[in-house]
Amino acid sequence: MFFHIVLERKIQLHPRYFGPHLRDKLVAKLMKEVEGTCSGRHGFVVAITGVEDIGKGLIREGTGFVTFPVKYQCVVFRPFKGEILEAVVTMVNKMGFFAEAGPVQIFVSNHLIPDDMEYQAGDMPNYTTSDGSVKIQKDCEVRLKIMGTRVDATEIFCIGTIKDDFLGVISDPSAAS
Amino acid sequence: MNLAAESPSSSCSSGSTDDFAAFLENEIEAQIEEEEIEEEHIEEEDDDEIEIEIAEHSNKRRKVMDDESTDEESPLNTVDLANGQISNGGNVVCAHPIIIRNLCSHCGEFVEEAGSSVAFNYIHKDLRLGASEIEKLRKEDLKHLLKDKKLILVLDLDHTLINSSRMIDIIPDEQYLIKQVEEGKETDDPNQTLFQLGRYHMLTKLRPFVRTFLKEAKNMFEMYIYTMGERAYAMEIAKLLDPGDVYFPSKVICQSDCTTRNQKGLDVVLGADNLVIILDDTEHVWHKHKENLILMERYHYFASSVRQFSSGIKSLSEMKKDERESDGILATILSVLKRAHEMFFDPKIGIDLSSRDVRQILKLIRQDILEGCNIVFSRVFPSTVRAEEQPIWKLAEQLGATCLDDVDDSVTHVVAVVPNTQKAEWARDNNKFLVTPRWIEAANYLWQRQKEEDFAVPKKVDK
Repeated sequence: MFFHIVLERKIQLHPRYFGPHLRDKLVAKLMKEVEGTCSGRHGFVVAITGVEDIGKGLIREGTGFVTFPVKYQCVVFRPFKGEILEAVVTMVNKMGFFAEAGPVQIFVSNHLIPDDMEYQAGDMPNYTTSDGSVKIQKDCEVRLKIMGTRVDATEIFCIGTIKDDFLGVISDPSAAS
Repeated sequence: MNLAAESPSSSCSSGSTDDFAAFLENEIEAQIEEEEIEEEHIEEEDDDEIEIEIAEHSNKRRKVMDDESTDEESPLNTVDLANGQISNGGNVVCAHPIIIRNLCSHCGEFVEEAGSSVAFNYIHKDLRLGASEIEKLRKEDLKHLLKDKKLILVLDLDHTLINSSRMIDIIPDEQYLIKQVEEGKETDDPNQTLFQLGRYHMLTKLRPFVRTFLKEAKNMFEMYIYTMGERAYAMEIAKLLDPGDVYFPSKVICQSDCTTRNQKGLDVVLGADNLVIILDDTEHVWHKHKENLILMERYHYFASSVRQFSSGIKSLSEMKKDERESDGILATILSVLKRAHEMFFDPKIGIDLSSRDVRQILKLIRQDILEGCNIVFSRVFPSTVRAEEQPIWKLAEQLGATCLDDVDDSVTHVVAVVPNTQKAEWARDNNKFLVTPRWIEAANYLWQRQKEEDFAVPKKVDK
């Protein structure tokens, strides 16, 4: 789920940037530091939409660095347990399949894939129903439900299921029509 | 969002703020509290009441936190969506069959290490499988393999399929190899066998016939690489042997995957034990699975490799020679594998396919090699030890020969090291074969009875 929230961060700036474009340099450094990172509480920071407030800078003793507390608005992405997401399948193996929804990787184990789908090995391994009507393979889009999440320093990993109603393949890249 | 309200459980993985409904509730409350605080700050700056209210609010916030932290996770099948509640402590206990990055893929709970699970890092990082899941996968694998008429082949890398040497260990006589490698980089010969592993400053030589071997073996076997080297090294070599990633996709097992130190085991191979043939040059690492093992003669191309095992012999690179493709070790082993495969899937045998054992078949093939030979040993081992326990005695018996303690009319071969023992004289007098112990070892490596003349004990020993 995406959120648009206000976060605060203390940015340190080297004295070489203290000039007419101080604010721009500060915002640029903020973007470099924050965009693309992930935290446990907020999830992935996708993009910074605006800077709300830049507080008074505090000069650090010893070095000449100045710390500015910056309040900024940003779009964050955080998956939740129970949430329904669409994802793209990246790898299929006999234990289940891996799918990606943006920066988040989701694993769906074969226990949580409907029983009528069987694993077929080959150079394009896939899960197929007995009549061959539905196929899950690499680059398919699936709708899945998140069962659990795990947050690392740099990424979020989730467990998903497609065993419920209305979950499963949305579109198949190999479908002819 | 209030950063100060960093919940204590946010550091753990699938913690309490995971549940969306509860999270939203919490946030809305926090929002309302914030707004109220702000209003009050604007209107009445120094009012004592604010402090009390703030205290109340923070109590409230803490209370909500506590509620969340006692909210337990429950498996999928006890979620009651109609009431909008999640029942605590479901009746079904999850067996955590597949655990990935410490999350059970079935119930979504955070699972600590231990338990009866085995790590399978070569399939995917941080993957662990429970014992029941491994059994299930093995059975499924068995079914598929028997349907496709394939067995399992586990291959070692060093001295079996390749030989590697560090650049610094290259002796002056081998300098021409470095020139060869440089030239090879320019061209792009598909049959190139000498490579430089850039990152490790090493030279690697592929054993002759290895590409054909892999291509042919693919039709009969599902192959795994199992090496005592590091993962990065193993993956580099796998890329050299298998540029198209068709032979060993996700099947490269290395030292860090071994469950027992210094021992290789079939527990990390997802296949039934009775279908596995192992090709390795070292016997002692396969303690638990000696019967599945085919021992290979070591491939010593580089001088540094020969020095490790014995001195005095010249390596292949020093002699500017190489094993012949047509009758080298790999070609011989390939024909043995073909034979074993044929015998396993022979429709004429009555037993059901799933109860056949490739180990029995290897035993049968081995026993054919020296079938009909009756062997007596002379001064090969001291007479004080028990003859039947000697490795060479056991090896000869495995190869189908009968070993005897003393000479009699049925004896066909006398194995000796020097030509002037009693038994050796007897052999010469009665026209029996007089061979060195190497004759038995050669039969083991080459899977064929060798010509006795090639291993005859030298006639005269100079005093």
